[in-house]
Amino acid sequence: MESADGVRGRVSSPAEPGDARGPVSLAERTSVPASPAGYRRRWLANWYAYLFIGPSLFGVLAFLLLPLVVVLGLSLFHWELLSDPTFAGLANYRRLAADGDAWHSLWRTAVYVLLCIPLQTVLAVLLALLLNQRAKGMRFYRALFVVPWMATPIVLGLVWTWVFDPRDGALNRLLDLVGVAGPNWLSDTTWALPAIALVNIWQYTGYNMLFFLAGLQGIPQELYDAAAIDGATPVRRFFRVTLPLLNPTMFFVMVTNLIGAFQIFDTVYVMTNGGPNQSTEVLNFKIFEMAFRQFDFGYASTLSTLLFVVILAVTLVQVRFFSKRTTYDLS
Amino acid sequence: MPSTRFRWAAALLGAALLTPLAACGGSGAGPGDKVTLTYRLWDDQQKVGYEKVMAAFEKANPNIHVKIELLPYDQYWIKMTADAVAGTAPDVFWMQTNQFPEFVTKGVLADLSPLKLDTAKYHPNVVAAYTYKSKLYGVPKDFGVVGLLYNKNLFKKAGVQMPANLTWAPDGSGTLLQVARKLTVDASGKHPDQPGFDPNKVQQYGFASWDHYQTQWMNWVNSNGGKLMDRPFGKYTFNDNASVQALQFGVDLVNKYHVSPPAAQTNPPSDKINEMFKRGEVAMFPANNALLPFVTPEAHFDLGVASMPQGPAGRSVNLNGLSEAVYSKSRHKKEAMRLASYLSTAEPQKMMADQGYIFPALNGLSQGYVDYWRKKNIDVSPYLEESKGTTFNLPITTGFTAFEPKLIRIFNEMYLGRLAVKQAADQAVQQGNALVK
Repeated sequence: MESADGVRGRVSSPAEPGDARGPVSLAERTSVPASPAGYRRRWLANWYAYLFIGPSLFGVLAFLLLPLVVVLGLSLFHWELLSDPTFAGLANYRRLAADGDAWHSLWRTAVYVLLCIPLQTVLAVLLALLLNQRAKGMRFYRALFVVPWMATPIVLGLVWTWVFDPRDGALNRLLDLVGVAGPNWLSDTTWALPAIALVNIWQYTGYNMLFFLAGLQGIPQELYDAAAIDGATPVRRFFRVTLPLLNPTMFFVMVTNLIGAFQIFDTVYVMTNGGPNQSTEVLNFKIFEMAFRQFDFGYASTLSTLLFVVILAVTLVQVRFFSKRTTYDLS
Repeated sequence: MPSTRFRWAAALLGAALLTPLAACGGSGAGPGDKVTLTYRLWDDQQKVGYEKVMAAFEKANPNIHVKIELLPYDQYWIKMTADAVAGTAPDVFWMQTNQFPEFVTKGVLADLSPLKLDTAKYHPNVVAAYTYKSKLYGVPKDFGVVGLLYNKNLFKKAGVQMPANLTWAPDGSGTLLQVARKLTVDASGKHPDQPGFDPNKVQQYGFASWDHYQTQWMNWVNSNGGKLMDRPFGKYTFNDNASVQALQFGVDLVNKYHVSPPAAQTNPPSDKINEMFKRGEVAMFPANNALLPFVTPEAHFDLGVASMPQGPAGRSVNLNGLSEAVYSKSRHKKEAMRLASYLSTAEPQKMMADQGYIFPALNGLSQGYVDYWRKKNIDVSPYLEESKGTTFNLPITTGFTAFEPKLIRIFNEMYLGRLAVKQAADQAVQQGNALVK
């Protein structure tokens, strides 16, 4: 775990002698120099570090922060791409408040996130536990589960469209063998969104497993030995030792996955194009339609702002939740 | 050694700053310098043909270099629009009938009157499609016609002859349905009009009816006397009685007569129906002739071409003409017009026809196309015959880019049988007209 290691290195530095051995919360992670002179000294001593950060800092500013500000600004304009933008004040936001379709999209996005994240996370932890054994060929299996992550979502979407074909698809053929009549997956308003969620779970579980595996391998064996001596059952050991000590990993995985899930687009685009009957019209897809098919960039920016605010809120809640419960120092 | 390190950094920084300046210096073309034009298209098969065309053009115009840029159709219009906004559109690019209104009304396309083309020499549909306020804004390039591709092997196996004239009517009479039934077979060898036929276990379908406007329902509508629009740049009208009847027939082929695969398999964005035809699971498949270069390499059976079925109002098929537009703000307008002028002549249009890509829009050159396909054992003359009869353009009006996904989504529901045809047509017309500016 990259972030956990980075923190551990800093914790054992003399900057915070008092905390060197104790659990460190997220809020205490940054060490602050005492005076302006201290800032100066630091800057001079580390100027080359800033030079190295430079290119990626430029990237963040130019391709993340700047567009963010531009989108916020554009949400106050009427702009239909080929004609000039005109200032609209809060008109787009008033339109949003009354736009049932937009709220429907947000709802479908939330459903998608709830379908994806819990299942994907539980599966990834279980898979990590399974692959954290010492056995022959383990490296091969670990690699195997990461393979789906390397494929592009567009290609996966196409392949899975075949799998989900109601007549000739592999899935319904298999269900047929056990006597179950499978649904018309991608043209059924009930099943289309779960089908897309399934593809994404399938793609990302192995990748998330990697993080949990690294997390598991960072947990010292003595803790398990001590727990065993105290008479803790394997299940109890999992819930009392493993899971709490996986919190830094969990934090990272949850934050990045939730953001990713809220931004789902490619698989929807290839597999259902928002249909059937708007059942897979998630917010990001709606934004795409608004901007690039209806060329209504002002309103698309307003919808983007909504998505941004939702993601920000969800992330802040997680930061609060995990900062109280996370131990980074295991030594 | 901090000072050396610093000098290195400064040198690198300096170099980085200078590079774009140097690059800029290169493009400021003086007199006698070579001008590079960008020519954008979306068809990867035709790109090969246009490489030869451009080579011929460059030979005659040594001071012009043409860069061909290929974009997949899905991204083409998005990128085109973004480029038009940014002022970076290609100098010459392909234009499609239903996108034309949006671009011409926003002033993206150059008026081609200076080329002084004799419009009488081109297919009238193509000229009409790119005329706005009696001025031409696109070089009539080619046209594609919707015809009926069929799998000769399946016909032979079923002992069925393709009739000289297929016919259809909203009540299910006519030869199309008869033939389609004979070619639809379920797992126990039964046809849809036989007792015990199981529509859930069909192994081979007689016909492909699906949610595709260009090759499917718009043709039913027109051959039943329905009207897509009241006039070019006007309003949609395909919810009139004749249109609704025609749409119902398209849906009935799937859900009532069971001679076409269920919409759950064929609804866009799936392109399943193409696959099914190429695999020999569907006997008859309405398709634009521009699809031939894509179908033939993968279809391992004898491919037949027939005219589209005749409806109560006769035969009326979609003829979709493409044109080449010149960007109104091109930095090399003079050279771009020169290229456009060349593309309007017989030499390039004949080259494209003779290589089997397209029917050229310029009259009198189609034989080369027919000959090319005859050598491949495919008789495409029904396409040519159709183009001389009654044809119709795709709806020409603003807002189609925004309307298209909505239209497809509503009609997906209609083909699934979840939305009544009249309701679907009303919804579509209403939403379409709301987007017309």
